[in-house]
Amino acid sequence: MRLEKGVISSSQLMFLVTGLIQGSALTVAFITKIAKQDIWLVVLSGLVISLFLALIYISLAQKFPSKNLIQINDIIYGPYVGKLISALYLYFFLLIIPANLRFIGDFSLTYLMPETPMSVILIMFMFICAWAVRKGIEVIARTSIILVVITIIISLFTFVLLLKDMQLTNFLPILELSLKDYIQSTHIMMAIPFGEVLVFFMVIPYVNNIKQAKSSVLLGLIIGGLTILSVTVKFIAVLGITSTIMTSPYFEAVRLIDIAGIITRLEILVAIGLLITVFLKVSIFYYATVLGIAQLLNLRSYLPLVLPIGIICISLSFFLYASPVEEVESAVSIWPIWSIPFELLFPLSSLLIAKIRRLPKKQGG
Amino acid sequence: MKNPIRLILIILVCLFCVLGTTSCWNRRELNDFAIVMGVGLDKPQQSTEDIQVTVQIAKPGGRKSANKEEGGGGSSKGYYNATTSGDTLFDTLRGFTHHVGRKLYYPHNEVIIFGREIAKEGVQPYIDFFARDHESRLSVWVFVAKDKASEIFDETPRLEKMPAQEIAKLVKAQSATSQTSTVRLVDFLTRLMSKTTSPIAPMIELSGEGNEKNIFVSGTAVFKKDKLVGQLDKIETRGLLWVIDKIKSGIIDVNSPSGHGKVSLEIIRAKSKITPEIIADKIHIKIEIKEEGNIGSQTSLENLALPPSIAALEKEKAAVIESEVMAALKKARKLNTDIFGFGDALHQKFPKEWKDLENSWDEIFPDLDVELIIEAKLSRTGRISSPAVPEQE
Repeated sequence: MRLEKGVISSSQLMFLVTGLIQGSALTVAFITKIAKQDIWLVVLSGLVISLFLALIYISLAQKFPSKNLIQINDIIYGPYVGKLISALYLYFFLLIIPANLRFIGDFSLTYLMPETPMSVILIMFMFICAWAVRKGIEVIARTSIILVVITIIISLFTFVLLLKDMQLTNFLPILELSLKDYIQSTHIMMAIPFGEVLVFFMVIPYVNNIKQAKSSVLLGLIIGGLTILSVTVKFIAVLGITSTIMTSPYFEAVRLIDIAGIITRLEILVAIGLLITVFLKVSIFYYATVLGIAQLLNLRSYLPLVLPIGIICISLSFFLYASPVEEVESAVSIWPIWSIPFELLFPLSSLLIAKIRRLPKKQGG
Repeated sequence: MKNPIRLILIILVCLFCVLGTTSCWNRRELNDFAIVMGVGLDKPQQSTEDIQVTVQIAKPGGRKSANKEEGGGGSSKGYYNATTSGDTLFDTLRGFTHHVGRKLYYPHNEVIIFGREIAKEGVQPYIDFFARDHESRLSVWVFVAKDKASEIFDETPRLEKMPAQEIAKLVKAQSATSQTSTVRLVDFLTRLMSKTTSPIAPMIELSGEGNEKNIFVSGTAVFKKDKLVGQLDKIETRGLLWVIDKIKSGIIDVNSPSGHGKVSLEIIRAKSKITPEIIADKIHIKIEIKEEGNIGSQTSLENLALPPSIAALEKEKAAVIESEVMAALKKARKLNTDIFGFGDALHQKFPKEWKDLENSWDEIFPDLDVELIIEAKLSRTGRISSPAVPEQE
């Protein structure tokens, strides 16, 4: 019995991974206060470390072809402990959705529509995501190609237009931050955008060519990482030290584009890029959550779960944080720690146990 | 039977989405806007309140008749100025609705002018609003008024429709002389956030009597932290711009090599670099300026298109640049304000040593050892090589 009948190609997988990473492009603002002008180094080292992390995930996924995270947990830890770990994972996925919704909501309220109630924005946003999830992974994968290409074009376009405002001295002095701050910010960078690749445990079984999945995930990770890198380079070079006090430095940097008084006020491009990539990110996590719950409860279809989970996520996004300030605080000091078991410990121990117990016993289970 | 219900549901859902995207929640029609072109901040003269704000509001209806020379009084102007006072900036700006009748709209604001008094007291409490408010932009030009900011907006615009536009144009035109600093809000904020570099802003003042009052930019206001402490004149301003690599164009007058008359040299391109060095615990700042220019005009009769004359002119030019930079340096030392960003340059190159210097920078800066290396080149003589005089033997 398969819950998902769709099949995606490995290049679509790459675009999905890229979109997932790009969806966090504006959350690098969380660490500008800690990392200051060295933020690009932090992004790079976070990317490099998470490539190794992704290798662990992929080798685990390739050991159990056409099995998703829930099934792998069942095989490795047995039906009871495995179900418990799976439930924890689903909770982890579920919490990421409201956090991103809240980010979108706060962004729109700060910059675009300050007087519109957040619920209106979030309900409409979640509605689109729910629609995509109901249509299955194939549809999300196909939209991802268009959306990611648009985001990359926006990123390159703003980069070229900002070239004349860039001052390379803003990057100096290099590596001024202390070792503690460096490790902390790299960890945040690893946990929030890059470590979330974990969610592809739920998607990889539907890739038609599992052998190529490795290179597509790594490539997607690199392209997404480079987009984030270009974002940080842009705002540090343009704004310098001022970027540390901005709630959304990338947006502010793009606001400064002024080519002969004609090409100005392009910041809406950034907002569009943010909306479409966060749509992808939320859809992927949303899909993983409902699929996982259906799998866990042995349902025949995940469709009945889509709307209830959506409603829970919208409500959670209001209760989770009292204010954007709290959101930043939690992203900086709580979330990275909370994600360690999910992003590092469980995959590692799964891999070890699989080695020791010589799993999977039969090829393909 | 199932299909019609499904269709109606889909249509309803689509309508819901379409209605949402019109963003009617924040609906503001164009004729409800009061488009702000400039904001001026002053100290109120009598009242006990903290701040007096003058805003210049575009009046689209009045702009058409602005060209006609009719004595229609205030109604023929394309703008009007409103003034009110209050305790905080945001509160005061919102208070304009008591007598303007429309909510002010800031995204088209072009200039922020600080009155002299308020600049002396410190601009920190007021700059925050402009950085925080979502309608305000970081690319708005910052000025300091020689006297009161409200007076600047009373100027009679000559080429533009509104004084605020004219002020913004002045900034863009400055590259022809490079004798005025151009400071966007983001540049001001960057300097304000630096531990050592002092913020600067162009100084603007009013000349003329009676109805015909005109603005002109007369130098650079120098801040220490957020407080106005002094002013650079035109020469010193260009000296500052040489160092911070902001020279675009300009004219340098030098004496003719023969001693009679003057030669005007045009700056075509200039580049500068600040290199701090620490030699035996002593800080040494090296400023390299590379300039390239043409001969623009000469009042003397001699032929300058000869290698010795060119060399002499280049030397003269380098001397003028050096004197301008030294003038700026002298003023900066007198005011004890690091307008050049030497502190930041040192920080960027010597992060470790900087930690000890940081707190005593005010004592170190006036006695800094500064070395100037100026390379001035003359490349072309223009359309004629020698002046239009009969050939001399």
